[in-house]
Amino acid sequence: MNRAMLNTRTALTPSLIAIVGFLTVCPVFMLVFGSLSEGIGAFGKLTLEKYIQSYTDPAFAGIIVNTVIFTIGSAFVATLLALFLAYLNTRTNIPFKFLFRIISIIPMMIPHILFSVSWVLLLNPSNGLINLFLKQFLNLQNSPFNIYTLGGMILVEGLLDLPIAYLILAPAMAAFDVSLEESSKVSGASNLRTLIKVTLPVLRPAILASFILVIVRSLASFAVPSIIGMPGRIYVLATHIYRIIATGFAADFGMAAAVGMSALAASIALIYLYRYLTSESEKYVTISSRGYRPTVIDLKNAKYPLFGIVGLLSFVLIVLPVLVLFYTSLVPYSIVPSAKAFSMMTWKNWLEVLRDPISLLSLKNSVFLGIVGATLGVILSIFVSYVIVKVRTPAAGVLESLSFLSFSFPGIVIGVGFMWFFVRTPLYATIWSLLIGYIATYLPYGIRPLTSAFVQIHSHLEESSRVCGGGTLYTLRRIVVPLLIPGIVSGWILMATMFVRELTLSVVLSRPGTEVLAVQILRFAEDGLWGKLSALGIMMIFISTLIVVIAFLIGTRLTKMEESHR
Amino acid sequence: MEIRIKSVSKDFFSEGKRIRALANVDLTIPANQIFTLLGPSGCGKTTLLRCIVGLETPDSGEIAIGEEIVWSKEKHIFVPPEKRGLSMVFQTYAIWPHMTVFDNVAYPLQTRKEPRDEIRSKVEKTLRFVQLEGLENRPATKLSGGQQQRVALARALVPEPKVILFDEPLSNLDAKLREETRKELRSFLTELRITAVYVTHDRIEALSLSDAIAVMKDGNMVEIGTPKKIYFDSEHRFVADFIGRANLIDGKVTAVEDSYTIVDSSIGTITCQKSPEATVGNEVSLCIRPEFIKVIEGEASEHRNIFRGRVESLLFIGEAYEGEIIIADTLLITRIEPTTAVKEGDEIALSLDPDHCFVLLK
Repeated sequence: MNRAMLNTRTALTPSLIAIVGFLTVCPVFMLVFGSLSEGIGAFGKLTLEKYIQSYTDPAFAGIIVNTVIFTIGSAFVATLLALFLAYLNTRTNIPFKFLFRIISIIPMMIPHILFSVSWVLLLNPSNGLINLFLKQFLNLQNSPFNIYTLGGMILVEGLLDLPIAYLILAPAMAAFDVSLEESSKVSGASNLRTLIKVTLPVLRPAILASFILVIVRSLASFAVPSIIGMPGRIYVLATHIYRIIATGFAADFGMAAAVGMSALAASIALIYLYRYLTSESEKYVTISSRGYRPTVIDLKNAKYPLFGIVGLLSFVLIVLPVLVLFYTSLVPYSIVPSAKAFSMMTWKNWLEVLRDPISLLSLKNSVFLGIVGATLGVILSIFVSYVIVKVRTPAAGVLESLSFLSFSFPGIVIGVGFMWFFVRTPLYATIWSLLIGYIATYLPYGIRPLTSAFVQIHSHLEESSRVCGGGTLYTLRRIVVPLLIPGIVSGWILMATMFVRELTLSVVLSRPGTEVLAVQILRFAEDGLWGKLSALGIMMIFISTLIVVIAFLIGTRLTKMEESHR
Repeated sequence: MEIRIKSVSKDFFSEGKRIRALANVDLTIPANQIFTLLGPSGCGKTTLLRCIVGLETPDSGEIAIGEEIVWSKEKHIFVPPEKRGLSMVFQTYAIWPHMTVFDNVAYPLQTRKEPRDEIRSKVEKTLRFVQLEGLENRPATKLSGGQQQRVALARALVPEPKVILFDEPLSNLDAKLREETRKELRSFLTELRITAVYVTHDRIEALSLSDAIAVMKDGNMVEIGTPKKIYFDSEHRFVADFIGRANLIDGKVTAVEDSYTIVDSSIGTITCQKSPEATVGNEVSLCIRPEFIKVIEGEASEHRNIFRGRVESLLFIGEAYEGEIIIADTLLITRIEPTTAVKEGDEIALSLDPDHCFVLLK
């Protein structure tokens, strides 16, 4: 009966391997080729010249040192903060626990470039609002803070990666087998001693996993190094590559590829280590099947002071950036909020942005990329997840590994790889090159929620519908699709928000005519047009939020349709 | 409705190896009975059930439900599951998590496009029958395991099928709930008088629920009979051992009397239930269940089947002791009343009930 179906199924896996393989392997291959090539137009002869040129550069050692300090520092900040928050949330009686969910999700909604800009607006040495404020009130000669330092970069990057670290640590902390702690306490150890001697060591794989993932993310990060690092002349690998291809003297994509190779290699190695550790930690922190209730530690007097810290953190992470941007978009120059400042407020920056053709074009492009890109990306993710979860042949395993490969790719490096590819195709400098690059880089974000949706659809659910008299199509419409919708919606939302704000890949692939929002914001930042930048940034946040809300409403609507089907 | 299965075979391939799930199975499931397929896991019972319902296609043979042939290799007939008009309760219950209790139960009627008010009244009636009234608008996943099980049952009953299939429906319930649900299921099914095919590996479930039991092993039908026949008078060593606690003793037939067969074994001469097939000289196995081995207190009144042995161990299991008695190097398991005064190491006398000592041909 299913001969025809079987054939399409067997053809599905190889064609998906071809598509995903192209998306993930092609840029890597082209990067390698590019790094060995003589120039972007050249064919034929391979040479090591670009490697020698880039790795013997006397400034290179300093860049590596900066990169190591920046990534490890960020990992420390993010992981320590996440540990603190996860422990408070899962194991103590701290009030208002809903705040933790907000802290773990909302910062992902604020584009990294805007978050970085808001810190520049607060703490830059010449006219940062906090510096101005302190100078005014304490009568200081010099600004007390300077964000344009490695420390500033680490602080901001650490805060940006906090949600990722939290999402790894909180479940591990919640799944912790409490009897391990209880036996320590029975043996006479105090709460603190138990925490240090038992809890943290048992959580070590999760802590290491979070640490490594933050290193990978900060290695790939471009927003913080470009907005905060470059004005202070602090270069890391990502900005070094950017400098090679985008600023000053003629762009050298061969050298960019050669430098990118080391970032890519480091990143892939770290991701393998991460996957190894997470599989280890699943072995390690096994939850007993018994229902268990974690003992809640009474914070007593420390309850409200600790909550104060959490409240401050959520203010700093969520409210402050938006507030600062909105304020800056309304005032003509940097000025501490005062009666005078409020009297000078105008919509001038907003109107100028709306009259600026390039800003408008970038708005249009980003919305197009968000909606069309996420739709195509989710369709591909549906098929890939279906094969990964339901087909389960060795070929499906290959597809799984391929589709998660891009998770480890630093955006700017992969952008350089794609550049080497697109330059040879008619897609060069079109919006489609950005679209393909986006889908390739962010495919895991679509696949994650969809695989879990497919896992949820046990084969018995479909079979039971068949036995009840539902044909194949009827079953698809009433059982399979409705159960997939939540996964489709969250996959789409994740991809769309990523695409609307995309920066790292776009700085390489975006050309005149294909400007996108984040790149336009970077240009404003480079020109110091903070007012316009803030206005465009707020528009960007507004558009992302609007897309999320609409997608969410459509999702609920579709689910409702199933319910009203009586 | 009667189900006839004619020489159905099915192989699976797993890691390059061929696994025979069904080997030329012939079986007729009589109408309006509770018929159980019993066997250890991997014996093919679930595969057979899935072939009947149409979720699996056999490699050869023919399956007919009532008058209709639903699968035939030679005649190229395959009726898809949705057209077979059967109902099935899955081991996982297969409750659709995105629907309410009402929608789950109404689904089979909705697929046939029945009028709304008719669907409503039928669903209400069925939910009342399985004692779930008032839960119509609950999301199905918000129910307890036992309640979900009943939703699955209601969904199977609502289209008033002629045949209903059960794939280990009680295996996900805890022990106490399983016992209660078993009783309920028995009363539901006898009340409805429909053909039920029930797959299980649990012998107590099979014995207490069924009108007839078919015991399977390695894709073959080993024995078919009523629960009592299977338990007290099985013809196969495998079945006798699988269906309950059994002492299996090897021996040789030495005489055939009018009402008994006499067997010589390692523990001595045993008088057994008459076996029509056994003749003098046959190598046989004897099966005697622990509850038919009695400890004799005081003087023995009988002279047949009395053996002396030593109590090797005593295990208190609540309603009785389970005793291991050694008689001439052979270990027998017995059930000893908790009031009996024995202790480990005692020399005791045992009597084996000849009417429940049955001969299995080798």
